[in-house]
Amino acid sequence: MSAEAVEATGRSDRTEQPKSPMRGWLLDRAPFLVACLMLLVIVAIYGSLQKGVFTLDEINLDTAAAMTLMLAATGQTIVLIRGGIDLSIGGMISLGTVIAATQFGTDPLSIVLWSGIILAIGFAVGAVNGLLISVLKLQPFLVTLASWSILNGVAMLILPTDGGAVPGWWVGFAYAQVFGLAAPVWMLIALIAFWYWFRATRLGVTIQATGSNEKSSFLSGVSITRINVITYGLSGLFAAAAALYLTTQTGAGSPTIGKDYILPSVAAAVIGGVSLFGGRGNLLGTVIGAFILTLIGNLVFVLHVSSYWQPVMSGAILLIAVLASSMAEKSARGLEQ
Amino acid sequence: MSGFLSRNRLILLAYVGMVVLLLVTALFSPGFLSESNLRSTVVLAAFVGIVALGQTFVIIGGGIDLSIPWVLNSAAVLMTLLCGAHDLPLLWVAPLLLAGGAMIGLINGVGVAVFGVPPIIMTLAANVILQGLVLVYTGGSPTPSAPDLIKFLAVGRVGPIPVIALIWAALALVASVLLSKAPFGRHLYALGTSATVAEFSGVPTVRTTVLTYVGSGLTAALAGMLLTGYSGQAYLGMGDSYLFTSIAAVAIGGASILGGSGHYLGTIAGALVLTILTGLLPALNLSSGALLVVYGAVILFTVSIGSETFATLWNLMFKNRRNRED
Repeated sequence: MSAEAVEATGRSDRTEQPKSPMRGWLLDRAPFLVACLMLLVIVAIYGSLQKGVFTLDEINLDTAAAMTLMLAATGQTIVLIRGGIDLSIGGMISLGTVIAATQFGTDPLSIVLWSGIILAIGFAVGAVNGLLISVLKLQPFLVTLASWSILNGVAMLILPTDGGAVPGWWVGFAYAQVFGLAAPVWMLIALIAFWYWFRATRLGVTIQATGSNEKSSFLSGVSITRINVITYGLSGLFAAAAALYLTTQTGAGSPTIGKDYILPSVAAAVIGGVSLFGGRGNLLGTVIGAFILTLIGNLVFVLHVSSYWQPVMSGAILLIAVLASSMAEKSARGLEQ
Repeated sequence: MSGFLSRNRLILLAYVGMVVLLLVTALFSPGFLSESNLRSTVVLAAFVGIVALGQTFVIIGGGIDLSIPWVLNSAAVLMTLLCGAHDLPLLWVAPLLLAGGAMIGLINGVGVAVFGVPPIIMTLAANVILQGLVLVYTGGSPTPSAPDLIKFLAVGRVGPIPVIALIWAALALVASVLLSKAPFGRHLYALGTSATVAEFSGVPTVRTTVLTYVGSGLTAALAGMLLTGYSGQAYLGMGDSYLFTSIAAVAIGGASILGGSGHYLGTIAGALVLTILTGLLPALNLSSGALLVVYGAVILFTVSIGSETFATLWNLMFKNRRNRED
């Protein structure tokens, strides 16, 4: 969403402090709190129908299942906070799994090397997206739609159908445990630590400021091109990381698997209270959104209904979340006036 | 007319690109310009074009419709379930399904215009909910057989002209009149340019927004029924590829994704370009992976040409030349 679009919807002005600080604080976090509430309800239903939900094992399993989406959604969150959108992560995830499945040798050195190459490709592809968006002044939606198509095509050229293989010990990664917590849980902890470090850095603050008002950010001397290159580069980097993690789950490459993460990554962020208009959001919300979307699958299983109800429920939850945030935003603006 | 063209340079370019593409394709595979091949190209482009009609309206209004795939798929599945291979039930099934598509559009439009839900999220949610409901209803198995009348509309011919081309032409005429001559068109461009300004100038923004989504639901449902006639059955996932192609056709046709510009005449060229490309690659012995790369490159190329930066360059070159002539 560009500055013009933001202005057109009249949502750019958030500098004024609301008169009632407590109510303002609550309204500001309403979408996030609604997400927490929904997660609690889902866990409560799940826990009452299934034994052993409140154990470390369950946390390990669910985090392992949600991690690909979380990694993809981390990049998406950064881009959304910048006020853009990245559809190309679908192509990057496919490409990453395909390269891993065809190039990984058996010795650890080759895996480390190729993992590095895949991550570098991810950052480079994202940086090109960012460059195209700022230099040619193109819309993020269309640029990343086009690069999604290109990356997906390249993935299909490398590996036309699902296949290839990664070494056995690489697949066992998600089951490796330290202090009773599986590797994905440690990754999640690292991800959240990264977030709290990142958003306080000069770069993180600038990305958020540019997302809430591109014009004033530019006028205070921020290079929009540099911000876009880094923002979309990070998104590509996290998509590549998601691809690497995905191969530990599937053990193979798939040239089409990435498209299953494009819109869910946006949905996870939006459920967690990240604003599509830029400037607002927290990775913690996105993580909760990703857990909600993943746990719906478990819920459908323990409720003994057709698994086809899963998309219906995730759609309904998405709508509830976004209605809550739009209502909160409306009353927040009411407070400011 | 010249005023229309100078305002819509990008549409003209899309047609020029289409003709160039046709000639290049003919160069590589001489059979491409044969009557039967051109006919099948037009038939395939018609499906993209009909789906993209609603998408064009929505995008000009500043929104986007991601619910197209499963509105299309729902209409297709429900038609085969309700009609089987019989023509007679179509009398009530076809209007019912069109109304259903319009209804989904109405819900989308109200969510966007009244409740302020971002279009991406509203239509995405509608899409996954419909997908789930259709899967639950059918148990995930495809539904064979389509009524003969629908088959005739999709693959039949009147003399040398495919019936669906006539349907497409009629829809194109209606869309063009709506965009260029009717108050609705003026309202739509105003809304897409700036919703705030449009609102204060007395444009019925809520009604106009809702109508674009209703139109998109209608065309998606119509395309779903016709596509069933073309493939002879309704299968799950048949609409998925139309999300990308409908947006791509609009973008190649020169509309800005931010709204306020573009025309259905451009989208027609976009649909034809995408379909010709699909036909070109087998002739060059390229795989579907290469097709995706080419699609992406074409989208990037066309949106780059339409960008501000290129427009500035264009003006600079043009002005320089004029200065030299002086």
